[in-house]
Amino acid sequence: MVQTAANSPENPAPAHGKRGDINVTRFKDGMAKYLFFVCASLSILAVFGIIGYILYASIPAFREVGVFQFLFGTRWNHNSDEYGILPMLVSSIVVTLGAILIGGTIGIFTAIFLVFWCPDKFHLRYNGQNKFLQKVVNGFNKINLRTFFDQVIKLLAGIPSVVFGYFGVAVILNLIRGGDVYYIGKGALASSLVLAIMIIPTVTSLAKNALEAVPEHYFEGALAMGNTKAQAVFRVVFPAARSGIISALILGIGRAVGETMAVAMVSGGSVSFPTSLFQPIRTLTTNIAMEFADASQGNTLFSALFATGFVLLVLVLIINFSINLVPKEFKGKRGNKVLNGEKTAVVYKKKGLIPEILKYVAIVLAFVVVVVLAALILFILINGIPNLKWDFLFGESTYQHPSLVPAFISTAYTILITLAISLPLGIGAAIFMVEYAKPGSKLVKVIRTFVDTLSGVPSIVFGLFGNLLFVELFGYSVWAGSFTMVLVVLPTIIRSTEEALIAVPVSLREASYGLGASKVRTIFKIVLPSAFPGIATAAILAIGRIVGESAALIYTSGMLITTIGAAANPGNMASTLTVFLYMCWAEPSSGLGYDQAYATAVILLIITALLNFCVYLIQRRVKKKR
Amino acid sequence: MGLFQKKNTIEQPQPETVDRHEKKKKSDSLDIFDFSGELAITVRDLDLFYGEFQALKKINMEMPKYQITAMIGPSGCGKSTLIKTLNRMNDLVEGCRVVGEIIIGGLNIYDRGVDLSALRKNVGMVFQKPNPFPMSVYDNIAYGPRTFGIRKKGELDEIVERSLKQAAMWDELKDRLNKSALGLSGGQQQRLCIARALAVGPQILLMDEPTSALDPISTGKIEELCEELKKDVTIVMVTHNMQQAARISDKTAFFLLGEMIEMGDTEQVFSAPSHPETERYITGRFG
Repeated sequence: MVQTAANSPENPAPAHGKRGDINVTRFKDGMAKYLFFVCASLSILAVFGIIGYILYASIPAFREVGVFQFLFGTRWNHNSDEYGILPMLVSSIVVTLGAILIGGTIGIFTAIFLVFWCPDKFHLRYNGQNKFLQKVVNGFNKINLRTFFDQVIKLLAGIPSVVFGYFGVAVILNLIRGGDVYYIGKGALASSLVLAIMIIPTVTSLAKNALEAVPEHYFEGALAMGNTKAQAVFRVVFPAARSGIISALILGIGRAVGETMAVAMVSGGSVSFPTSLFQPIRTLTTNIAMEFADASQGNTLFSALFATGFVLLVLVLIINFSINLVPKEFKGKRGNKVLNGEKTAVVYKKKGLIPEILKYVAIVLAFVVVVVLAALILFILINGIPNLKWDFLFGESTYQHPSLVPAFISTAYTILITLAISLPLGIGAAIFMVEYAKPGSKLVKVIRTFVDTLSGVPSIVFGLFGNLLFVELFGYSVWAGSFTMVLVVLPTIIRSTEEALIAVPVSLREASYGLGASKVRTIFKIVLPSAFPGIATAAILAIGRIVGESAALIYTSGMLITTIGAAANPGNMASTLTVFLYMCWAEPSSGLGYDQAYATAVILLIITALLNFCVYLIQRRVKKKR
Repeated sequence: MGLFQKKNTIEQPQPETVDRHEKKKKSDSLDIFDFSGELAITVRDLDLFYGEFQALKKINMEMPKYQITAMIGPSGCGKSTLIKTLNRMNDLVEGCRVVGEIIIGGLNIYDRGVDLSALRKNVGMVFQKPNPFPMSVYDNIAYGPRTFGIRKKGELDEIVERSLKQAAMWDELKDRLNKSALGLSGGQQQRLCIARALAVGPQILLMDEPTSALDPISTGKIEELCEELKKDVTIVMVTHNMQQAARISDKTAFFLLGEMIEMGDTEQVFSAPSHPETERYITGRFG
């Protein structure tokens, strides 16, 4: 009895002296602040490091070839030391424009369909007696179509780009050839189509967000004036979402410019101007990927590839920066409007055929997306499932008979090492930005700009940087690959965590401070737990990015068929699943070809689906709690 | 005698509405309504359900032409629901079901095949929160006419000028026609929305608590405007502000829990209400 009384809240004196020592708390607070500050600074350093390092490495090429000759030279041949990137530059631009024209249009219209015309549910009817069919029909009718579409689009966004490359090689190229086996068909058209399919999910989901963010009352206002739904959508809601939709297109362009492996598989690879849709070409990114094998540190080719990367970086920076130029809201037109109306009897007529036509365009294009999606997924499953053999999945791996086990191991290592570094760093940086920096602080703005820049950098450029720095430090190894991936996923983690932290209500923090809790305690006990779903989602997205990455890993952790024993040590060279998949196409051998590729693609599809399912579960739990 | 010269559709609504309707299907005209009668709107035996919940019960009312009808009542009494059924904005609400008739300009607007564009062109609406589009002042007002096929600059100019003058804001805005409508003050935005609604030439203007988001001065301006407008249009207004109803309306209807308790001349309703609930509400004892 006596003891209980001593420990009761009215009498906490004995414990208080030690635990709540004010100096210790202050020290902890100060330490924490510096720790978080270091995290934030490191991420700035990373961006500076990448840009600076790549510029530094490309200086020899610029000096030897000359900047003008490099940019506007039309020949690229490392045997005769000729380095001109103009054909590649033009090809990159043409292919990207083609992709955004096709994929952007389809993506935007699909988004419009999803937001405004997608029915909630199937309304299938079955009047027969067969109980099984009845159950199937009822099951279909229960599916929430919007959620379903959302998930499918997200799945498509998560599929590794190399898988799209295979789809391009096996389906799109065949369609272009039209059965003529001697006709190559690789070139701008095939590349644009593959890229278009790749950017559809990006553009669709971003355009969808922009359309959903348009206040409902614009739509209602238009309807109340006698607009049809199609008129209200295309004349009021769509223009109101303009800035968000343009941003979606710009991000789509960024993704298309930066894509490497999928384009490498269907572009043909020769250095020439895209004089026709079917002329084999090479883009800036594929140039780096294709020539790197012949480069060695110190020669001009090596430097010229970094210079290519630098040009690419500048291109992407310009594209990203142009997002900031999109006006967020309508600010009025210039000048003054003077009216000189004529006094006539006005006749109101029923018009508005164009919006109705656009509505059907949206429905048709959304249908096209469904068909392409179904084709893509069926293509993987039909070709892959028959090749899922026990030996290939779980057997011993040799050069003659490679199995996926080493790839599983190295993928797991890459995920673990990357997250172990990037999560603390990214979360720390975000905590500094949200909890410690002053509101409106310039430092935070700088960090944000740099982080956004980093997120737009094509992964092949990360690969170059990783090769230059981490391969020098660790040799070709999973370590080098993982450190490179840290840079790739850091922006996503920082920005998502930042958003999750901002979303935690200020009142929660105030309540904690009001009880006398220190800042560090408030952050770790109140803020971080509340932001956990957002941070977990960010981590899962980062895993998805690591699993799907190829370009950044090929020249850091390497392309190699290896044994299970060798893969067990992250200090060795080993390929992740996606790199393995690329290897099946790039370096086919007796035990490595399309059969193995499709089987690997099925595994990647399953992993992507599982990761998406985790995100879905987290988000559903958050929604339920609210 | 023309079919539509009859004063009131109450005696013989059925043949007339059907006939009207047939005619509408053939032509693509927007003028399917005939507003020559005394009554602008007649609501007959109206029940409204949101899923299982019955939000309106057996509503019967007649709103005379060129008058302001105010609908008052505590929150959740169904007055906003009712005003939204008058131009079928309730169609947007999932699970909303309407039984009964609303006759506007000789037509039951819930008849199958009634053209919603034509209905809403003739029955305009002003919302609780000002909702100008993110366009210039000029484009906001020209928006409606443009969707109804008016493209000539001269005609549009004239409509914009006339509508702004009608809404008594021509002098304020004539030099700012190219500026964004979102830059106007709340009160100006709401009057702009009224001008925008007037630009398509409605016969009836529905106002759903048009001043509840505004300051007293802006409220006063809109009330003045309503007095002015009722020369040309019939106004139906939902309001939470009893003084407002008493000040500007000709008829007042009091709603409670989905039922219309009483409706009559505003003076009578406010001075000698016939129902004890009405009296309790307008004297502020509940609601």
